[in-house]
Amino acid sequence: MTSVTQRVRGRPAHPNGPTFLTYTPDGTKLITAGSNNVIRVYSTGSDGEPTNIDDCQENNTAVAASNDIFITGSEDGSVTVYSLETYLYERLLTRCTLPIRDLALSPDGIWAAVASDELEIKIIDIRDMNNVLRIRDLPKPPKHLSFHPSGSHLAVSCTDGAVYIYSITTEDPALSNKFDGYIRRLETDDERSSKAIWHPDGRAFAVPMATRDVQVISRDGEKQRAFLGGHMGDITTLAWSPNGAMLATSASDRKILIWETKTQKVIARYDYTGVINFAWHPRDNIFSFVTSEGELFIYPNFLSPDNAQLLQKSLQPAPFIHDPLSETSGNARKTLTNGLKRTPNDPPKRQGTPNSLDDILGPESAGEEDDFVEDDDGAGYSDEVNRYGKRSYDLLNDYEGPVPKRRATQQSWEPSIHESFQPGSTPWRGNRRYLCLNLTGFVWTVDQDTHHTVTVEFYDREFHRDFHFTDPYLYDKACLNEHGTLFSCPPTTENPAMVFYRPHETWTSRADWRTQLPAGEDVTAISLSDSYVVVMTSTNYVRIFTLFGLPVKVYRQKSSPTVTCASWRDYILTLGNGPVGGDGSTSLLYSIENVKRDEVCQSEDVVALPDNTQVQSVFFSDQGDPCLYDSTGVLLILQHWRTPGQARWVPLLDTKTLERLAGGRKEESYWPVAVAQDKFHCIILKGGDQYPYFPKPLLSEFDFRIPCTTAATEDPSNPATSEGPRLEESFVRSSLMLSLLEDLVQATNASHSQKSELSRREVDVDKLLLQLLNVECREGEERGMKALEVVSLMRDRSGKLLEAAGKVAGRYGRTVLQDKISELAETRLMGMDED
Amino acid sequence: MALTLPPGLTPPEVAFLCEMELVTVIPRQRLEGLQLLGGPTVPLIPPHRTPLPLWLALLLKRQNRANIFPPPWLSPSSLDAILQLETSSPEFSDTPPLPRSTTPVSPPFLPSATADAPPDALPYHWLELSTLLLEAASDDIPSADHVRRLLRDLREVRMAKLRAGVEVLEGGREVKMNGVGAMEVSEGRAFIGGVVDGLRKLGAGREISRREREGEEGGLGTGGEGDNEDDMEY
Repeated sequence: MTSVTQRVRGRPAHPNGPTFLTYTPDGTKLITAGSNNVIRVYSTGSDGEPTNIDDCQENNTAVAASNDIFITGSEDGSVTVYSLETYLYERLLTRCTLPIRDLALSPDGIWAAVASDELEIKIIDIRDMNNVLRIRDLPKPPKHLSFHPSGSHLAVSCTDGAVYIYSITTEDPALSNKFDGYIRRLETDDERSSKAIWHPDGRAFAVPMATRDVQVISRDGEKQRAFLGGHMGDITTLAWSPNGAMLATSASDRKILIWETKTQKVIARYDYTGVINFAWHPRDNIFSFVTSEGELFIYPNFLSPDNAQLLQKSLQPAPFIHDPLSETSGNARKTLTNGLKRTPNDPPKRQGTPNSLDDILGPESAGEEDDFVEDDDGAGYSDEVNRYGKRSYDLLNDYEGPVPKRRATQQSWEPSIHESFQPGSTPWRGNRRYLCLNLTGFVWTVDQDTHHTVTVEFYDREFHRDFHFTDPYLYDKACLNEHGTLFSCPPTTENPAMVFYRPHETWTSRADWRTQLPAGEDVTAISLSDSYVVVMTSTNYVRIFTLFGLPVKVYRQKSSPTVTCASWRDYILTLGNGPVGGDGSTSLLYSIENVKRDEVCQSEDVVALPDNTQVQSVFFSDQGDPCLYDSTGVLLILQHWRTPGQARWVPLLDTKTLERLAGGRKEESYWPVAVAQDKFHCIILKGGDQYPYFPKPLLSEFDFRIPCTTAATEDPSNPATSEGPRLEESFVRSSLMLSLLEDLVQATNASHSQKSELSRREVDVDKLLLQLLNVECREGEERGMKALEVVSLMRDRSGKLLEAAGKVAGRYGRTVLQDKISELAETRLMGMDED
Repeated sequence: MALTLPPGLTPPEVAFLCEMELVTVIPRQRLEGLQLLGGPTVPLIPPHRTPLPLWLALLLKRQNRANIFPPPWLSPSSLDAILQLETSSPEFSDTPPLPRSTTPVSPPFLPSATADAPPDALPYHWLELSTLLLEAASDDIPSADHVRRLLRDLREVRMAKLRAGVEVLEGGREVKMNGVGAMEVSEGRAFIGGVVDGLRKLGAGREISRREREGEEGGLGTGGEGDNEDDMEY
């Protein structure tokens, strides 16, 4: 950090009073406006006199520029457009009744947002000034505006002390977020600033706070890192460097501070009095600022050479506490494996310009043969074509995380693999995350910089007691069941990876245990059942411990790399990546084994997943059947899995066909939690969220519905039409449930209640068939053959239901059918249809 | 001495009946199924949602053993929509549709306040149910104060409608009262009953005079019937 002594000469640009400046996006011109009726345009690189524009209003209060025009706003409420080619007044853009306070041009230079002392923000199309979007629901006048780097959102710092984020992609701008309690309540003409300013990567913005610090807030509303303790006076203005690597602030303590984004430390200090506005040159090491005396300082070679190299870097990430893009912990999966995948949260893409150079040159121009500069160290000096099909230095793009080196320039092909994840956990958001969320309770952790604090809460408050502890090992995975909690932490430089089990109740003084894994081994997934602890590691080992820490088995998993595991009583289910399929991604293989009996139930069988589908969660149902929820929103259950080679995945519920989504109005997704009591328990996520967050979300439950036909449209006037398909679906579903229960009863020492449940379900299936027969008979005589088939499907141990079926047919007067049914009943009675 | 209660049910009686409605609870501790006179209850296992009668749910809530899941119509957005409907149309908003079920159900025991209830219709016991829930389980209801305000608005709008409906009675026409809740009936009973009774008396006097006139004109004594009606009235 250096305090720079060399001073630049101020140029008298305007008389005393508020003065504003801006660079054009191409950096060739600098425009200043102040309290007199002259606007000055300075050309970068020439020290000569500026071009003056006299045909303007007095008391200008804002200025914004694109490459060929600039607009100014003045205290008399007019917003004027000037041409940068002719340096002449072009036209009046709009007129407000009260003074203009801020102007912002969208990154594509098409929309101008106008904030005045009125309660309305106008967003005007520069090409067609009749095309105006209006934000009308502000409680008090806005003070500052800032466009999101993608142009899709507008941050409004309001005089009521809140920052409002509006989505302006639609005709009617919608409030998407409100952040209260960060900025101060300042009057619109206050020299101090409350401006929320987007970081160039578009994932966060910075606001000056009353404490004279600058806080970074991510788009989801979480406090991220802060720039603390630099200024002794109120902040008057702030700006990110064009690549986001630095933040400049100035305050009434007569200082300009330059902060490094990565470390949030001051890297340079400059002493200038009364700085009220400044601007970074979009490319070069030039910094310009104006003071309240109306002087303009253009400061070439502003940063010292060692700091100036920060300016050369490519787009830098915003200072997150836990950067969601650079982490792959927990459930977060990288989607960078084979090119970039679009996530639903991405801002709308910019389309390629027609007839651009890249289009004309064709795809070869982006190939590697003319890439004579190889980007070896990722420093960004080779001009790579980014995902928008544009060459780089396009700050409008969102930051996409650390880009794997030579992703596009090398021809080496890698299969896309299924990343490992821990079922039931969420990635960091802010400084919190869930480590485990299931029907027993939930485990969450808070990052306190040097350590974490872990809290375990239960749904059943009488049976268990919530607990809380300080965690110096930084556990990143957890499992919770009724008997205990299992944690694991990744290896650090001094400590190997560790597993920690803590039972909920003991009759000795201490029963928790820790095990350190061999050095160099990282935990990829853990699971906990009533009798075993399963740990999967990065060296493809599956380690099985008893609940008291006794290692029972260690073996290497056949399918690798490992993905995840789940367990229920003595059964463990492991998932791993298998051979590469035709679509370039590995197939997902699973194995199920019984640890106690040392039996393999299913060995390296394929998980039935459509192309480009990921597993979102794997768990056992409360009846002990493996269930899987995939990224297409389908819940699958494994049938006949106890017999080798017989297992198959059966869809239980397709959440896309749920009735609540039928209107097409709701956009929601479901985060799987459990399958219990013949219901799917999940958390409903709204508004494009991918993971549940705090406060603790409510669990929802849905009945199963096997996707048989197109969701039957509810027709209240004629319920009979929908009854047939509905009964058919429930027949398939009850038969599936019956077969799952049959398998369970056969494989275990079934209790009496389970056996009676089994016979009850058998009767239920037959009753459903009887109802189906009823529907078929009502439909008409010609459905007789289908009706007979329905009857022949009945298991009917007692023979009573066949009798009843005959009566149903008789009631509808289907005598032929009735005869056939009684014939069938007789054959059954004689035991002749056994084949 | 005879009890001087007005005819019909008193508000506490209506509220008592409402306690038989089913609501959805999220239990916070285990409870085996109870054998009650009204039938057995479902065993409670946290955190599975379970339908319970309101009185039991309130009991468990007061002992902090369960959370009540508010019915979907008791949310600010739904109430807002219903209020819009009520203020824009002269009729009362629709009652929830009857559930599709093979067994017949009667109005007091419809599952109209459970988690699966339709969000866009007020059930029969809406007023007393929401009052009880807001009193005992306001921490389970999101933005309870806003809900309270909306409920008061709704109640005022609907009562005003009910009173306004009385005006047309004078012309001898009828008022459609579909969708009126139990508590509103009980509140309005005294007033509407009084109005109808008064109108009937006035109408009866006019009727007598008309008939007398007719009798004088026609000379034939049809007044006997009128006398009988008179007797019945007083």
